[in-house]
Amino acid sequence: MSTGRQALVVRDLRKRYPRVEALKGISLSVPTGEIWGLLGPNGSGKSTFLKCVAGLLRPDGGELEVLGAPPSRRTKEQLAYVPEVENLYRWMTVSQVLDFTAAFYPDWQGESALELLEFMRLEPNAKVTALSKGMRARLRLITALARRAPLILLDEPFSGIDPASRERIVEGIARQFKGEEQTMIISTHAVGDAERLFDAVVFLQEGTITLQGNAEDLRSRHGKSINDLFKEVFA
Amino acid sequence: MKRFCKLLRKDLEASRLPVLFLSGATLALMAYVRARLANSPVFVETAESYWPSGYLVLAVMLPITFFPLWLVWRSLQTLRSEWREDTIYTLMALPVPGWQVMLSKLIGLCVEYTTLFIVTVGGFLLFLGRVLELDRVLPGPAWVAVNAFWVYVGGLLLFAALAVQVQLAFVVSKMVGRAQGLVALWAWILAVWFSTRVSGLLQPLFSWLPPVPLHELLRLDELGEEVLLLVYPEKYVVFGLVTVLFFILTGLLFERHMEISS
Repeated sequence: MSTGRQALVVRDLRKRYPRVEALKGISLSVPTGEIWGLLGPNGSGKSTFLKCVAGLLRPDGGELEVLGAPPSRRTKEQLAYVPEVENLYRWMTVSQVLDFTAAFYPDWQGESALELLEFMRLEPNAKVTALSKGMRARLRLITALARRAPLILLDEPFSGIDPASRERIVEGIARQFKGEEQTMIISTHAVGDAERLFDAVVFLQEGTITLQGNAEDLRSRHGKSINDLFKEVFA
Repeated sequence: MKRFCKLLRKDLEASRLPVLFLSGATLALMAYVRARLANSPVFVETAESYWPSGYLVLAVMLPITFFPLWLVWRSLQTLRSEWREDTIYTLMALPVPGWQVMLSKLIGLCVEYTTLFIVTVGGFLLFLGRVLELDRVLPGPAWVAVNAFWVYVGGLLLFAALAVQVQLAFVVSKMVGRAQGLVALWAWILAVWFSTRVSGLLQPLFSWLPPVPLHELLRLDELGEEVLLLVYPEKYVVFGLVTVLFFILTGLLFERHMEISS
């Protein structure tokens, strides 16, 4: 459901770590209202790319426009970022995690959060330490989906998660995504679970884009699903 | 303000358990020393000297030597734990200025210091005041309160400055890819050296400040002897200003130059 506006514009983005060049000149434009899949094997630069967009890494070169501006405190307020790692404070309860998140983002939707808690089958009084990995992943997802954030970045939301939780997470994303005003980028190498969500996909390998396009076009052009295409490209 | 309060509450909650544990341990130590003193024949025989036993050294010196080390460790730990537990991802993604993140941690540390100070002094007076007959040695409760207050204020300022230096050193170390421990240590040594050096060099700028009559603040005349104790504040004022600069620098580095590379 593209609106013609660009939520994210990236030109020749470069990022180098001491021993490796993680991003080697990435360029893409993500229109508002779409869900994009950022697909690639481990070490392809997916997380680095999302961290640059989220303002957690400074690019070494290129340009980055997040919702029309370079990454800053203001863009941090407007985007919801769920990292690959377990970033929750372990001593908090589920409701404390949500309260904490709510305090920082004016677009927080308390009612949505409660609905999502129920949908994701999480107890508000449960301690984060008492949750399974799948439950913690669902809780981290709620911190992003309960907001009306114009840009949502999900880094490997299905990594190490049991199939039941994966299905819940995919359903949760599909239910909560507000296509007319939101844009979402999901990085994953578990393509099969999320394929139905994607409007477009970007294949990333060793810091460069190897394939990019509308998901439906790619399916019809190659005569196979994105998941099969992924397996073929990264075999 | 709401955001800062949330950050502060998070940092206070995170320090609650260690502070409760240390407070309990301190009070238990005081109670133990009191029990040993009360039953000590040596103490009974030499009650007039008021300083009869090594237990007192234990009761006083252990908190006095351990707590500053503990608080310096905590200054490091409050930041280090964010990286170790990956919550730095949450913290750095928040739309708040870096100085607020640092200030909430600093206030949390000052609350820890205050709690431990109150527990140590209060516990000492509560458990050992009567046994040691402090009311016969010291001028009175008001004198004790005033002195305890100034010792508290002095310790708090010193500790806060130290905590800021540790925060700066840690943040600087996180900006390099390798040998972060070594970088943190050197950054801290440099920060201490810079503070003392600049304090010495720039203190003439504040030479117009009058000396602080510490003997009056501490009401030393009530001890029965004429004592003149003056503190010349210019060096400390510069040291304080350098600490504020360090604090601002730490906030800026955290917000604008910090990266999560792993």
